[in-house]
Amino acid sequence: MPTGNDISEATPAEGSKDAATKRISDDDLYRHSSQYTLWSFTKEQLLEKRRTLNARVVDKVNERLQNTISSHTDLSQDELDAIKETAVPVSVDEELKFVNFFARKVQSFCQSLNLPTEVGATAISFFRRYFLMNSTMEVHPKHILLTSIFLACKSENYFIGIEAFAKKTKSQPAAILKYEFSVLESLRFTLLNHHPYRPLHGFFLDIQHILHGKVDLNYMGQIYSNCKKRITETILTDVVYHYTPPQITLACLLIEDEALTLKYLELKFGNVGVPSEPESAEAIIEEAKSEEAKSEEPKSKESKSEGSKSEGSKSEGSKSEGVKSEESKSEETKSEETLSSSKSGSTINLDLLTALVVECKDMILNVEALSKEEATKIDARLHYCQNPMLLVDRLRRQKQQRDSSAEVAAEPDSKKLKV
Amino acid sequence: MTVRSTAEDYTKEKKAGEGTYAVVYLGTKKSTGRSIAVKEIKTSQFKDGLDMSALREVKFLQELRHINVIELIDVFMASDNLNLVLEFLPADLELIIKDTSIMFSPADIKSWILMTLRGVHHCHRNFILHRDLKPNNLLLAPDGQLKIADFGLARLMGSPQEVLTSNVVTRWYRAPELLFAAKHYTSAVDIWSVGVIFAELMLRIPYLPGKDDVDQINVTFRALGTPTDKEWQEVSSFSNYNKIQIYPPPSREELRRRFIAATENALDLIDGMMIMNPANRWDTVRCLQSPYFQELPEATLPQDLPKLNK
Repeated sequence: MPTGNDISEATPAEGSKDAATKRISDDDLYRHSSQYTLWSFTKEQLLEKRRTLNARVVDKVNERLQNTISSHTDLSQDELDAIKETAVPVSVDEELKFVNFFARKVQSFCQSLNLPTEVGATAISFFRRYFLMNSTMEVHPKHILLTSIFLACKSENYFIGIEAFAKKTKSQPAAILKYEFSVLESLRFTLLNHHPYRPLHGFFLDIQHILHGKVDLNYMGQIYSNCKKRITETILTDVVYHYTPPQITLACLLIEDEALTLKYLELKFGNVGVPSEPESAEAIIEEAKSEEAKSEEPKSKESKSEGSKSEGSKSEGSKSEGVKSEESKSEETKSEETLSSSKSGSTINLDLLTALVVECKDMILNVEALSKEEATKIDARLHYCQNPMLLVDRLRRQKQQRDSSAEVAAEPDSKKLKV
Repeated sequence: MTVRSTAEDYTKEKKAGEGTYAVVYLGTKKSTGRSIAVKEIKTSQFKDGLDMSALREVKFLQELRHINVIELIDVFMASDNLNLVLEFLPADLELIIKDTSIMFSPADIKSWILMTLRGVHHCHRNFILHRDLKPNNLLLAPDGQLKIADFGLARLMGSPQEVLTSNVVTRWYRAPELLFAAKHYTSAVDIWSVGVIFAELMLRIPYLPGKDDVDQINVTFRALGTPTDKEWQEVSSFSNYNKIQIYPPPSREELRRRFIAATENALDLIDGMMIMNPANRWDTVRCLQSPYFQELPEATLPQDLPKLNK
């Protein structure tokens, strides 16, 4: 999917030779975003990333376990067994599920704080990205939870002072601020997130336009709010690393109303060459083209292509590139989003797009969540694999308690007098 | 994956300035010898953690790569401070405008405005509003390229319902909708600022130098006419509209006298950038397509632009 090396013509600073014919599309701009260059992966890349991270920490943890065992020769067989069973490092899969379990907590915190949807989505994104760079065996997710939210508030222009924030979340300012730089650094200082909410608004408008007279506005409103909720769910999954925001939006629409979405896609991107769009869109394109031609600056050596805006052009649908247009980021561009396939020969391949969106949909529907009991178990292992002697201490304490209570219970019965 | 960079990769040779939230040092990147500026963000003194301005600067500069936008080369942490490594830019447009020993031609002005508009266009097509354009934030590279800097007030374009603060942009460069304290505004606020900068380049003195926020309203509308409901629907419903004086808009003749060296196309452009109603104000595309950039004289090549005498 993202390779990041097909962007040369989109680098405005480079003054490309064919700038006059090549306009910078929203796809080009998206390919320059940190979300694409640093935080988009193929499934294999993502797995590899998590494996490497996990393996690095597991090695360390195992080494420490071995050291503990060999330096404590007084451990009983029971204690050794307990260590082997409970103080073992967690696997890649367990880490992922555990992180997602806490990502849900991030979500519910955001909801209880009444934060805007986008702030919550960014907080979840920060939190999950942090654990692509750090293992849960190094930093427990609970430490990063509030810091992610606090930083997301700042980053999304929804500033809450640290005192007020700590008060609302019943925590300590120092505990939140302590991890701020660590989070920033793990995010590689990239803070701008593109969420699927804006594309949703864009598609919401465009579906009504394309299927004019065939959809009920109230019904569309229902679809919109259902989709919005579902999008928030997708932020909690790996689809955000594999698909672009508009692709995720389409997948959510597909889940809500498959027939409607497929019909829309067909009318929008099918029948290439036959203007499915009425005059207006074509006219806009023609006008834009001729103005662009006119606007050739006489001498400029710099890229000309920036002299013309190209919002709304969807210039490729090739699956290998895996990126579809970053849809309708602003109100002004929404009307132009209807310019679809008529751009300079490059078009969206309906079949590829549909296949991609279906794939994304399946991934959304196939998310496994962790039960509370499982989470508790992993939590215990995270704790004890770092500090195996705490486990031993606990066992000994428990044993002592058991023994002493047994003693009390056994008092009358003199047969059981052993300490 | 790239290796994390550290303070070791750069030298800090001398302190170049100190702002409210940062200290700037000049230095070089050791591996290449490239001149750089390191902006060290003062963090410890802020009780709310990383300062919002610094955060915005990092957030937006990480996404923007354009010849007319300052380059954020690197970011690293050193002894609990955040350091932004920026390209070294020795001058800014304000210094050039104020230096009376420097002469500049209409072609030079065209070149600076062209580069400014290109940079602003790149921000806007990435849905980023700068919100503090002024000559002092338009930096000049040794090769003459102009670079938009200081994204400490920048933000993404708001969604329709979102309330934005109107307390942005340095006073003299503030668009009328901001003077009216509008809660919703668009990239048109940046265009207005560029218009004021354009005028300032031609006049060599600030165009709309209000003494305070109230005076700014008066100065702005005296120079350009008070907007009415006819050209700007419901402008009179802004709460402070009643208090303002109604001035007629300047005639074309008056504008010709005001900008004596400007061509008709130049006047059209400045007019378009300073249309009162933000919905009708020209956007970057329209500005860049203006005949002003196609007529003679051609914009001066960046390397041939006037420089500060040192």
